[in-house]
Amino acid sequence: MFFHIVLERNMQLHPRHFGRDLRDKLVSKLMKDVEGTCSGRHGFVVAITGIESVGKGLIRDGTGFVTFPVKYLCVVFRPFKGEILEAVVTMVNKMGFFAEAGPVQIFVSNHLIPDDMEFQSGDVPNYTTSDGSVKIQKDSEVRLKIIGTRVDATEIFCIGTIKDDFLGVISDPGSTS
Amino acid sequence: MPRRREEEYDDEMEPEEDEDVEEEYEDEEEEYDGGKAGKKRRRSDFIDDLAEEDDEEEEEDDDDEDYGGGGGKRKAKKRSGSHFFELEAQVDTDEEEEEEEGEDVDFIVDTGAELPDEDDEGRRMHRRPLLHREEDQEDFEALERTIHERYGRREVEYDDEATEVEQQALLPSVRDPKLWMVKCAIGREREVAVCLMQKAIDKGPELQIRSVVALDHLKNYIYIEADKEAHVKEAIKGMRNIFASAKIMLVPIKEMTDVLSVESKAVDISRDTWVRMKTGTYKGDLAKVVDVDNVRQKVTLKLIPRIDLPALAAKLEGREVPKKKNKTFNPPPRFMNMDEARELHIRVERRRDPMTGDYFENIGGMMFKDGFLYKSFSMKSISTQNIQPTFDELEKFRQPSENGDGDVASLSTLFANRKKGHFMKGDRVIVVKGDLKNLKGWVEKVEEDTVHIKPNEKGLPATLAIGDRELCKYFEPGNHVKVVAGATEGATGMVVSVEGHVVNIVSDTTKELLRVFADNIVESSEVTTGVTRIGEYELHDLVQLDDMSFGVIIRVESEAFQVLKGVPEKPEVALVRLREIKFKLDRKNNGTQDRNGNRLSVKDVVKILEGPCKGKQGPVEHIYKGILFVYDRHHLEHAGFICAKAQSCVLVGGSRANVDRNGGSLHSKFTKFGAPPRAPLSPMRSPRGGPPVNSAGRFRGGRGHDNLVGAIIKIRMGPHKGCNGIVKEVKGNALRVELEAQMRIVTVNRDQITDNVNVSTPFREKSRFGMGSETPVHPSRTPLRPYMTPMRDPGATPVHDGMRTPMRDRAWNPYTPMSPPRDDWEDGNPASWGSSPQYQPGSPPSRTYEAPTPGYGDAGTPRDSNPAYANAPSPYLPSTPGGQPPMTPSSAYLPGTPGGQPMTPGSGGLDMMSPVVGGDNEGPWLLPDILVNVRRPGEDGDIGVVREVLPDGSCRVALGSSGSGETITVLPNEIEVVAPRKSDKIKIMGGTHRGATGKLIGIDGTDGIVKLDITFDVKILDLDILAKLPHVKE
Repeated sequence: MFFHIVLERNMQLHPRHFGRDLRDKLVSKLMKDVEGTCSGRHGFVVAITGIESVGKGLIRDGTGFVTFPVKYLCVVFRPFKGEILEAVVTMVNKMGFFAEAGPVQIFVSNHLIPDDMEFQSGDVPNYTTSDGSVKIQKDSEVRLKIIGTRVDATEIFCIGTIKDDFLGVISDPGSTS
Repeated sequence: MPRRREEEYDDEMEPEEDEDVEEEYEDEEEEYDGGKAGKKRRRSDFIDDLAEEDDEEEEEDDDDEDYGGGGGKRKAKKRSGSHFFELEAQVDTDEEEEEEEGEDVDFIVDTGAELPDEDDEGRRMHRRPLLHREEDQEDFEALERTIHERYGRREVEYDDEATEVEQQALLPSVRDPKLWMVKCAIGREREVAVCLMQKAIDKGPELQIRSVVALDHLKNYIYIEADKEAHVKEAIKGMRNIFASAKIMLVPIKEMTDVLSVESKAVDISRDTWVRMKTGTYKGDLAKVVDVDNVRQKVTLKLIPRIDLPALAAKLEGREVPKKKNKTFNPPPRFMNMDEARELHIRVERRRDPMTGDYFENIGGMMFKDGFLYKSFSMKSISTQNIQPTFDELEKFRQPSENGDGDVASLSTLFANRKKGHFMKGDRVIVVKGDLKNLKGWVEKVEEDTVHIKPNEKGLPATLAIGDRELCKYFEPGNHVKVVAGATEGATGMVVSVEGHVVNIVSDTTKELLRVFADNIVESSEVTTGVTRIGEYELHDLVQLDDMSFGVIIRVESEAFQVLKGVPEKPEVALVRLREIKFKLDRKNNGTQDRNGNRLSVKDVVKILEGPCKGKQGPVEHIYKGILFVYDRHHLEHAGFICAKAQSCVLVGGSRANVDRNGGSLHSKFTKFGAPPRAPLSPMRSPRGGPPVNSAGRFRGGRGHDNLVGAIIKIRMGPHKGCNGIVKEVKGNALRVELEAQMRIVTVNRDQITDNVNVSTPFREKSRFGMGSETPVHPSRTPLRPYMTPMRDPGATPVHDGMRTPMRDRAWNPYTPMSPPRDDWEDGNPASWGSSPQYQPGSPPSRTYEAPTPGYGDAGTPRDSNPAYANAPSPYLPSTPGGQPPMTPSSAYLPGTPGGQPMTPGSGGLDMMSPVVGGDNEGPWLLPDILVNVRRPGEDGDIGVVREVLPDGSCRVALGSSGSGETITVLPNEIEVVAPRKSDKIKIMGGTHRGATGKLIGIDGTDGIVKLDITFDVKILDLDILAKLPHVKE
């Protein structure tokens, strides 16, 4: 789920940036530092949309760095347990398949794939129903439900299932191309 | 001997076996009916005792064999021998198959005869279990008899029950012989016992001791049973391994029973429990209890048979089976296939078990059902504690019976494995038995055997007390758990699915599927692989192995590492023990190049172009000897690590070392322009630079040097803790670090720094360095740059550098006190001019020579003397019209050996060097047609237009803003390019667009936005390389 929230961060700025465009530097550094990161509480910071306020800087003894408390608006993406997501399959193996929804990697174990889908090894490993009508392979788009998340410092890993109503393949690379 | 036996018997019986004995009695009687010779049995009995006393035989096998009787007898004996072994195993499991051969038994024949029959009773009961193996020796009659026995057994009643009183009466009293403890040599306990037995055999009643006991758990002592101490002394006289001097100690009567009693825990076996066999062919095999007879202390087990069908067939037909010498051979466990058996003409009977009503296939007295062997064993021959069936075993058990035992891991097994304190407050549990089955809840309180749970459902009491056997831990898919027991102990993962009491989890690190018991996991938010380090080596470390190979630790097991070796051809994983690892390879000192010659460093993302892992992509984790270890999170094998040659990889998205630390724009700008922007800045470079002559082309830079040099580090310990700085030099373990905040260089220990380079601060040293090396040719073109662009040299990115360079200059160049902006220093230290008289103004070579050493040598620089230059932003341009050779060489020299020069300003070596280099130098800096200011000493500056650049570096300049005036020849140092303004027509003097003309459409700091005339491309170029053109009217 995406959220547009205000976050705060203490930015350390090198003294060389002091000058007219200090603020710009601060913002660009903030973007560089923050965008793409991931926190357990808020998920992935997708983009910074604005600066709410920049507090007073505090000069650090010894280094000359200045710490600014910056409040910024940003879009975050945080997967939740029970959330339905659409994701692109990145890898298929006999244990299940991995899919990605943006920065989030989701693993769908073969226990969580409908029982009528079987793993077919070969050049393009895939899961196929017995009648061959539905096929999950690399680059397929699937709709899945997240049943568990694990948040690291740098990534969020999810376990998903497609063993539920209205879940499964929503577009097939084979059919579209 | 006989006497001793009785005593022994008592002792043995005491603990808890009364029942057992009785049942055996019963069996015994049947046996008598069968008419089997008493001798045989007696013999075995005798051995039995021995075994109980201590397995003396084991060590004496050879001796025993000498006694061996004739071949004919042997066979029969074997069987009897095996009897005893089974029993004895209950007491003491040491004797195994080897002894079952029974060869060791023969000598007893003589003495055995005297044994009282009653003793036999206790030994009979193991006959049945062994039948299948001994069948070949049985004649058909015997077979029938045994079958009769088997089916008849249930009808037999116990004749004599040993009452409590009787038992009591068996306890030793003062009238009984005493037990003496005798010291002997360590490890010779059994030998001594056997020797004594031998003595007893030889001497007969002369020897007045009753028995000898050596206990496995008691080293250094044996027990001798005798009436008097003197008897003991007599007996041990002359024994090698008994210390005659040692005191013989009397065991108090009360403790006598303890000596020989076996500590046995209350065994709680119930149906469907998993057990393991302790002895026999099936030793170690997993078995399932199908029936328990607590009275007889027997269990019926379901096993996967280990039967050698051909041998069995032969046996049943009464053929002689060649005795295998190697008795340790065990047929592999395999399900019994009745058809197969029939093919071998084995008679398969289908019978109904009178008790259970189930049908069994019966082959030679063995019962089979669904391919499993059903067999009854004494409870003592199975172990019930700590049975941890692996999934493989369980799967096997489930296989043939489709109707299945349903749940792979039966509850009872789970319970059996439970330790104390299994449930903890807060655990989620589910009731698995009883009325409340499937009720979920949380553990509130745990008492001895009851667990108070808070049920999930409404309408129930707040807490329910439920026996812990009726509970099981409960997990839901998505829970993050940690395995706390079993093979995968320590791993963490997420629950994918739950099948009864088996939980499938996806490991966090390996992304593999693990199957574990619900009981063995706990909910946890922790993420680990289990153990991640042994000794000083950690998961994912690069290590040097014993055999000079190296690899990355991809898995840490309990005592060993799995190491992915540095062999790029194919992934090779070795299991390595701690001692086989020589040392950890330091990741810092390595760097290499990819296929395209790009420099690779750790964390750079590369794509693999060749080899088994072609197409994989990921960050480099380790580099060693041109081998990369790449981590691809999509790669499931080897924990995601791929080993590849650096040469078969390409860098993707630029090197981190260059881009990340630099601030990308900086980098690109530099490379485009080919400017050696920092050249003058790097006096401290000297330690790393190659020989100056190398400058062009050959100078690759960096290889073989410590990557740490130039890195921005943070000091995390010591007096400078918290300071950032740039590493200037590495001397062994010591680093010389230039502090960012203070103008000094301090020496710190290598382990006092954090070197995860602060990415936010551009990594300038590095970039500068890289640039010099990567564009060796270009620098020569812009030799004077530093002078021309006072802003420039601080690092070409004025914004960043403004702050820094001054400090650096100062720090490094003591002779140039406080000269932060370049223009300053030019007139700022006039005094220094004198210090280097040989560099006189106006002499281009010397001047150029100086260029590289601005911070230092300004003193000597001629242009310092020329006040005219001082203010001009790019004072020297005009004076270098023709790219004079002397000038360029120095410039060429600059990038390569930036540091070399400043140190040796006055040395002649430099001068000599520059011309040499100049030979392969490139074109001039100035170009015809550009507008310049001519400033000659004593004259006012004149605007002029360069008409021609002479080979010697001087220019012919036509004075006048449009070049209409007189033409004069000026030295390069007398002219400077007129800085263009917005909307001016310009000519580009450097970089790839050198010579092109365009229009300056905007100025951004030190950058000019230029629209090229020919291509109409818009370029952002450094202002310094832009020269104004005369107005269009020309």
